[in-house]
Amino acid sequence: MPGLLPPRAGVALVAVFAVAALADAQAPQGKADAGGFPAPTPELERGRAVYVLSSCHFCHGVDLTGAQMGATDLMHSPLIAADQNGNFIGPVVRAGKPNLQTAMPSYPDLTAQEIADLAAYVHYLRRQGRYRELTMDAEEQGDLRTGETYFKANCAACHSKSGDLAGVAAKYPGATLRARTLRPSDDPAPAGTDRTAVGRQQHGKLLERYAAADVRNVISFLRER
Amino acid sequence: MKQGPMILTRREFGKVLAAAPLAAGAAQQQRPLYAINGVGLGLETFSFHDLPPAADPRLIPTIISNMREIGIGECEIMSGHIEPWPTIATGWWVQSRRAPGFQKLREDARKWRLSAPMSYYTNIRKQFEDAGLRIYLYNVNFNETFTDEERDKTFEAAKALGAAGFSSSTVISEARRLVPFVERHKMFVAMHNHNNLVDPDQFATPESFETALAMSPYFKATLDIGHFVAGNNDPVAFIRKHHDRTINIHVRDRKRNNGPNRPFGQGDTPIAEVLRLIRDEKYPIRCYLEYEYGSFRSSVDEVKRCLDYCRRVLA
Repeated sequence: MPGLLPPRAGVALVAVFAVAALADAQAPQGKADAGGFPAPTPELERGRAVYVLSSCHFCHGVDLTGAQMGATDLMHSPLIAADQNGNFIGPVVRAGKPNLQTAMPSYPDLTAQEIADLAAYVHYLRRQGRYRELTMDAEEQGDLRTGETYFKANCAACHSKSGDLAGVAAKYPGATLRARTLRPSDDPAPAGTDRTAVGRQQHGKLLERYAAADVRNVISFLRER
Repeated sequence: MKQGPMILTRREFGKVLAAAPLAAGAAQQQRPLYAINGVGLGLETFSFHDLPPAADPRLIPTIISNMREIGIGECEIMSGHIEPWPTIATGWWVQSRRAPGFQKLREDARKWRLSAPMSYYTNIRKQFEDAGLRIYLYNVNFNETFTDEERDKTFEAAKALGAAGFSSSTVISEARRLVPFVERHKMFVAMHNHNNLVDPDQFATPESFETALAMSPYFKATLDIGHFVAGNNDPVAFIRKHHDRTINIHVRDRKRNNGPNRPFGQGDTPIAEVLRLIRDEKYPIRCYLEYEYGSFRSSVDEVKRCLDYCRRVLA
């Protein structure tokens, strides 16, 4: 349901997001270490190295859950949701937060590439975590009119309920429809086209931003006959 | 059995050499280390970042097993490792007090504290002592969410654990509240610093320590030399001036200007200078390792590396 950006707008700017989104569907593989599981791509593994070796995981959690010592919950932080390729994450990480009770250290020596890698990894973790959270949300009825409004604002640029999504609610049972809404696994566009990349990127961004009610409302709207 | 000089073949000699570290390791397991060249050594259990969660029955045995494997005999143990609550439940982090559900969590923790039998703590103490280990400090972060009854009970808990006193990441306003408690229980509270230079209630500067030290002779310092340096302070000067009121230091390496934690020897903290000062001046200040830099290795492996660094600089 991409729709926040025009189809081609973000490809060059946030290619690193696409890497994260492509990796979203992959389960952890390899042997876990003190920094969690190895990341599924070399790019994300570079980001994991920055995240772990900068000791971010001690306060923010190896998978962004269980934040400690008053640290920001990165899984639900609006700043992370708004970040693109480290444009918000980078300045905070470089400057630290010296006014916190237990000050967040500053990392002024991180390079632009390290910040980009770190941001990509944080977004990857967030998408993994948000997907887990939202797929476990209770299957309650949402508000279909609110869902329609959300759909028009965020999804209608690429999707139509009477077009590519016609019959989708009847085709998939509840849990599958929810999972595919959150993270479509079979994008109808041919692989490698701009539309695919932007679509995955947009779904990844939405996944980071959905409130639980948004998902319930949109699914209710899709189910409406 | 034939007596006399033992002559080994080259292959046998190689086997002996290969086994030597194992034998040394076994000996170390039997006799935990309490000091190097007269400098008291220990660790802060916060160093173990991969422990089972609070209330998990494996938690204390894992801490004991980790200390035995590292070979260190003495510790400062966090309340979150003793009580069946994560430290967040007892109100230290101001940010966390705003979280949904905090009030209920805090109230539940308080009820538990006030009703826990002393045998709960003495049982933990026994587990440490049976393993040849000692809890020297109980790390409790006293704060304004404590009731007076809770403060009293926490002092009783520290005694039951066998701790000589507390280390506490507290604030100056709470220190004022603690004065009658330290006087009544005749037990010290050593203030632990971070490096928040913005909030004047925080322990971060020499002046903040001195404010508390002037309140009661039972107030001491747990100087975290890494955080102190991150706040652009000089730990050597502090220790020279306040060695008689400094119970222990937390040994970590941070960069100046609120910089990050680094492996020992790679930051701006004068660890070697501080340890040698304590050794040479024979200050009775314990040096507790605190591992908090990033690594893919286990906490036990990294604390061993921290210990090795200290061994080298104190050799």
